[in-house]
Amino acid sequence: MKKTALFVTVILILSLVLGACSGDDTSGEDSKDELKVALLIPGTLGDKSFFDSANAGLELVKKELGAKTKVIEMGTDSTKWEPTFVDVSEGDWDIIISGNDTTELMNEIAKEYPDKRYINFDTFIEETPDNVYSMFYSTNEVSYLAGALASLVTTSEMELANSENTIGFLGGADTPGINDFLVGYIEGAQYVDPEIKVLVSYAGNFTDPAKGKELGIVQYNSGVDISFNVAGGTGLGLMDAANEEDAYAIGVDSDQAMLFKDSDPEKAERIVSSAVKRIDIAIFNAVEKHIAGELEYGTHNEMGVAEEAVELAKNEYYEELPQEIKDRIKEIEEKIKSGEITVGTAFGISTEKIEELRESVRP
Amino acid sequence: MNSFFDTIFTSDFVFSTIRVTTPILFAALGALISNKAGSPNIGLEGIMLMSALGGVVFSAYTGSAFIGLLGAVLVGLISASILAYFTLKLKTDVILGGIAINFFADGGTIFLLYYLTGDKGTSSSLPSKVLPNIDLPIIQNIPVLGDIISGHNILTYVAIILIIGVWYLLNKTATGLRIKSVGENEDAAKSVGVNIMKVRYLAMALSGVFAGLGGAFLSMGYVSWFSRGMSAGRGWIALAAEAMGRGTVLGTTLSSILFGAADALSNTLQLLGIPSELISIIPYLATVIGLLIYAINNTKKRKLKE
Repeated sequence: MKKTALFVTVILILSLVLGACSGDDTSGEDSKDELKVALLIPGTLGDKSFFDSANAGLELVKKELGAKTKVIEMGTDSTKWEPTFVDVSEGDWDIIISGNDTTELMNEIAKEYPDKRYINFDTFIEETPDNVYSMFYSTNEVSYLAGALASLVTTSEMELANSENTIGFLGGADTPGINDFLVGYIEGAQYVDPEIKVLVSYAGNFTDPAKGKELGIVQYNSGVDISFNVAGGTGLGLMDAANEEDAYAIGVDSDQAMLFKDSDPEKAERIVSSAVKRIDIAIFNAVEKHIAGELEYGTHNEMGVAEEAVELAKNEYYEELPQEIKDRIKEIEEKIKSGEITVGTAFGISTEKIEELRESVRP
Repeated sequence: MNSFFDTIFTSDFVFSTIRVTTPILFAALGALISNKAGSPNIGLEGIMLMSALGGVVFSAYTGSAFIGLLGAVLVGLISASILAYFTLKLKTDVILGGIAINFFADGGTIFLLYYLTGDKGTSSSLPSKVLPNIDLPIIQNIPVLGDIISGHNILTYVAIILIIGVWYLLNKTATGLRIKSVGENEDAAKSVGVNIMKVRYLAMALSGVFAGLGGAFLSMGYVSWFSRGMSAGRGWIALAAEAMGRGTVLGTTLSSILFGAADALSNTLQLLGIPSELISIIPYLATVIGLLIYAINNTKKRKLKE
């Protein structure tokens, strides 16, 4: 009896897990000259961030370039990534796209399958085998713009801006990837107002919106009137905090105002803009170049504001900002593009240096 | 150090402690009841998660926050009943059953979310409702106290009432005595004609209802949408709180507040320039210290007995 119960439970779980995992691979028959592109996600879709964006890129590839595509969500158990990678590499895929946490694994596998082509959609590791094309987004540059925007808003006469020139930053974890946003954010804010103060909080995880809201409330109660979240699902809590405490927020990765636009327009209005990585466009461009035979495999490419791989989301809420703020942002954008402004990065600098930077802007 | 005390002795801090404590307290009271009956429910984490989604879905499709709340509680009740059926009737190991519920919730909520919204991350596209915050008449005008006690979510007040309710249930009613007798000595209870199965079913179902309230608080009080994995370990912390509270209502309440305060503290202290690594260990440090005190007391008692 006990066994039966366990068996039924296991079947129930399996059916759900499998149900959730099976993507649609019903896209037409196999023709020999069709381009076949596989996307391996080291995690699951629905992160509202780079995985979803990469998937959107794959959808573009399918729609615009007529390729046969498949997305495989490998889950969070990293021991399963290698067998999946090997399986897919053994298959007849022309291009295998993955990135972020799988970079090192992908580089290893790529060496074993020299005939295959790989695209890494997001990594800061510069070492790249000959059959891998890797990309990196200058998140520090778009954060520079976000910092400048926050600084402009807090010093403005906007409705919810208070008299204190303090802005907030909510990070998911104290890691180089997140701190790269922070470094750009602080520099951008200081470019507008050298005396600006920045309150920095880390949530310690990426899936706890209640914690994010709690941290947001603490910030908004301490004189912050605009804060920037770089914390996945946790960061979405900041939007609720902004709504409750009558303040502004800046989104990240995707245009987060759009998440609430239909269901809760008031909340969407608080999100003045989002720092967006266009992984979708980057993947699409890379595959397009591959077809034209122009993709430079074996290189690591950093793409920033100039390449339009990162940008501030300019939706209807952004458009409602005072004209002088939009003009200043435009001006700073031009300066980054022309190289007049170079933005610092958190990669390769010591923890102490980051700590110093945080300390220098603490209220 | 001054700014440290400035941070703690504010009404904002106490207010946020109460808010952070609420979901933990719900689940901890649920853990208490099922533990008392001798069938520990470690599926609380998953049940909370499913109820959080249940609340959002029911409220979005009916347009009523109250029906959403009922939905969340119903989801909690049903999932705990399923767990009870497996562990009590089909004799699955109660721990394995709990683990299964947690895994099921983790994947199942995302599956359902995707099915309903086409999104695997959040339910923000569903127009779900939130439960109101309540300003208490008269009390809200008292300085300091009013700032702390008034203006909480309605479920926070429900939680406070339920503390007394659970205490009354366990200590003053026949059902409560039966629950305790079944947990403490199954054979003795059986010998006086207590229907053990029925009592454990009831205790499990109640723990599901409590976890359901906790889940509803997360997605309909704290924030206004469901996002995957949003129970974020609160079900586990609740189990720890129940253990630390030595299975008493007062102890469980106090240790839930301790965990809540530690978490609220970790949010506030970040602004004072204390390294975030250090701050993030506070809630866990509180657990270790609590368990240490518990262990020391226990050993002392045992020595006295000898």
